[in-house]
Amino acid sequence: MIRIEDLSVAFDGPEVVKNVSLEIRDGEILGVVGESGCGKSVTALTLMGLVAESARVTSGRIYFDDTLLLEAGRPRDKALYRRFQGDEMSMVFQEPMTSLNPTQRAGKQVDEVLRLHTRLDAAERRKKVLETFEAVGLKDAETVYASYPHQLSGGMRQRVMIAMAVILHPRLLVADEPTTALDVTVQNQIVSLLQKINRQQNNAMLFITHDLNLARRLCQRIAVMKDGCVVEQGETEQIFRHPEQDYTRRLLEAVPSRMKRRKSPYVPAEEQALSDPVVQVRDLSVYYQDGGNSLFGKKRRHCVVKDVNFEIYPGESLGLVGESGCGKTTLSRAVLGINRDIEGQVLHSTLRPQMIFQDPYSSLNPARTVGWQLQEPLRAQGATAVGGAMTRADMEAAACDMLRRVGMDERYFYRRPAQLSGGQRQRVSIAQALITHPGFIIADEPVSALDVTIQAQIMELMQRLRREMKLSFLFISHDINVVYQMCDRIMVMKEGRIIETGETEEIFDSPKEEYTKELLASARNNVQ
Amino acid sequence: MRYFIKKSITLIMTLFLVSAAAFLAFQIIPGDVVTSILGTEATPEREEQLREELGFNDPPAVRYFNWIADILRGDLGVSYRYSKNMNEMMPVSELIGDKLPVTLWLAALSLVLITAVSVPLGVLWARSKSHFLDALLGVTTQAAMAVPAFFLGILVTYIFGIVLKFFAPGGYVSYKEDFRGFLGYLMFPALSVAIPKIAMTARFLRNSLLTEMNADYVRTAYGKGCTGRRVVYGHVLRNAMIPVITFLGMIVAEIVAGSIVIEQVFGLPGIGRLLISSVSTRDLPVVEILILYITFVVIFVYFLIDILYRAIDPRISEK
Repeated sequence: MIRIEDLSVAFDGPEVVKNVSLEIRDGEILGVVGESGCGKSVTALTLMGLVAESARVTSGRIYFDDTLLLEAGRPRDKALYRRFQGDEMSMVFQEPMTSLNPTQRAGKQVDEVLRLHTRLDAAERRKKVLETFEAVGLKDAETVYASYPHQLSGGMRQRVMIAMAVILHPRLLVADEPTTALDVTVQNQIVSLLQKINRQQNNAMLFITHDLNLARRLCQRIAVMKDGCVVEQGETEQIFRHPEQDYTRRLLEAVPSRMKRRKSPYVPAEEQALSDPVVQVRDLSVYYQDGGNSLFGKKRRHCVVKDVNFEIYPGESLGLVGESGCGKTTLSRAVLGINRDIEGQVLHSTLRPQMIFQDPYSSLNPARTVGWQLQEPLRAQGATAVGGAMTRADMEAAACDMLRRVGMDERYFYRRPAQLSGGQRQRVSIAQALITHPGFIIADEPVSALDVTIQAQIMELMQRLRREMKLSFLFISHDINVVYQMCDRIMVMKEGRIIETGETEEIFDSPKEEYTKELLASARNNVQ
Repeated sequence: MRYFIKKSITLIMTLFLVSAAAFLAFQIIPGDVVTSILGTEATPEREEQLREELGFNDPPAVRYFNWIADILRGDLGVSYRYSKNMNEMMPVSELIGDKLPVTLWLAALSLVLITAVSVPLGVLWARSKSHFLDALLGVTTQAAMAVPAFFLGILVTYIFGIVLKFFAPGGYVSYKEDFRGFLGYLMFPALSVAIPKIAMTARFLRNSLLTEMNADYVRTAYGKGCTGRRVVYGHVLRNAMIPVITFLGMIVAEIVAGSIVIEQVFGLPGIGRLLISSVSTRDLPVVEILILYITFVVIFVYFLIDILYRAIDPRISEK
């Protein structure tokens, strides 16, 4: 039905999509997998006619049935595209919050598709929108119709997006990482919904994802992309069982999963019990204030974390899992001492716990060099150190040494974050956290913003540093497979409480709480 | 509702603070009002008598509270400078009452001009694909922003008043006598006030629109099959207006408080001119009331902006 022939796309500079040929048949789900920057989104956007104006198609053609949608060397025929967009082909995006207009009610935004492509009157349109809302699993359709995007949860927003995409039963649905921004349990629901739509309406789907497990579960055929090229293409099981290309094999190996042996350096429990804990948390409740912006507004104190108890022993890595909004980050900030409104006790045996953040793009200062930023914790420490501050030369030496430890070298000392890749930035963040030899590190989703192969490297690095520097971790993640690889013990958090704690194997093999089972089940779904 | 009460209390408290500060400031600033009213030739007895009349012999705190109490009763005091006739002093309320409509009409007219021109201009600019138009608008708006207000006033007077004879420079008709003539006289000062602001707002709106055009929801809208026109007017404009509203608010506050230079250049008897003359003649009751007026206007306009914000952006009211 869709034929992409020899497509190349360039922005100002080299081609980001190179000679890509894909075919999508009626009713089939084609997965396009690859790491960020491999050109999978640009391909999809070009197909949809939504790629930025600055993009140039340098070679190739796109056909929808027998209609030539796009050809290199000819300007994009916008009027032709408009007939297809929303009607014959539509797209679901990654981030449902920003992909919906924040100042328009959800119903009206879906309604617009009908206004553009049909001649239904207002009442008929409204009826159809409400029906579609119900069909995509939005229970209270009337309320959703009248809600603004920010009033809906992430899952509901994505359902609205899907409703918008499928309301006219398009023959092609393009889904660009539609579950990446969502929680695990919600991810599953959305994937099932897409599957259901595909079966019922028998429309073709182009499913773009970096998540190989997900692609395996959903797609009949898969195309693997790297640096703008399709390196391998074929039936899903064929690719997973017998990958032909090196790159595909590496990609598959990098995926964290239970199938693989855990590499965590395990410290025996007896040995741990002998030493004092690095961190002890006693009956910790963390509060968060609201409405503090006015002179008169009563400040409301929300309890975000309730009665949490745990301790971390030297060399141990404790995992903290739970859905977004359950209080993971608030808890970690309280342990670090950033959130001060707490009840209970946090006892550290180390002086300066450090933190590794999720997003290496925004957590490094873009204006300063890597070397400068690495020395920052040392300067801060110098201000309070008993023996006086380190000399400049010492600090620089320490920074270089740390760079080497995280697998980079002195060349990077004078670079700025913008000149580094995502993985390199995360290495710098880790180096920055470790430079004061803190002994205890809080890692808040340190690998979830990274591509799988990079993710595997960073996890490897953290394990190595943990052995070398005898680090203890509080490791926060929503990805239960990552936690499995990284942690000795796991705490499961729900609505501000720790509902279950135990050895990693114990939690995975015999979870006690219903919620834990649910979390594990959704993670396993992705594996099978 | 709670929101309105909260805002009103904030407004009242701010006014009190400002009134105290204004009162205090004029206690500290050197210069004797009595000598400045009577001149240096007056007898000590006459001076003492006036001091008593004006209540200068009371302690400052008492005078402040009397002043506030009078204001609350609607008595804004009397001007030291102007008098109604030989025997009566001029009440400040009457003085301001005469000038206020001029300034307010000027402000209203300028605001209409600013919004009516800058919004379409900004949209046109953001949507234009012609490099020539882009450059042309860039240079023109830059020039319009950079020209000092008085010079623009002189220019407008020269072109429309002296060359084209659309109005008589320096002339003015009270709105009570001839309303249309009054508007005719205001038109050109309003134009002088508006031109730089139009340039700024159009620029600002253009940048805001261009930023907003990169938002994800714009892609979604195109994905539905919207035309470029529909995307701009149906989706982007409203979101792009949010920061522009703040900017317009600042402009409104500025011109309602009195366009001092423009009023001076065109000889309009408005608040701005009154402020200059009363500051230079130490007409303290007038100055103090004007300070309160300006404070009130600024806060009140921001309050209106806040409400407008809530109407445009549904996310705000729930935070």
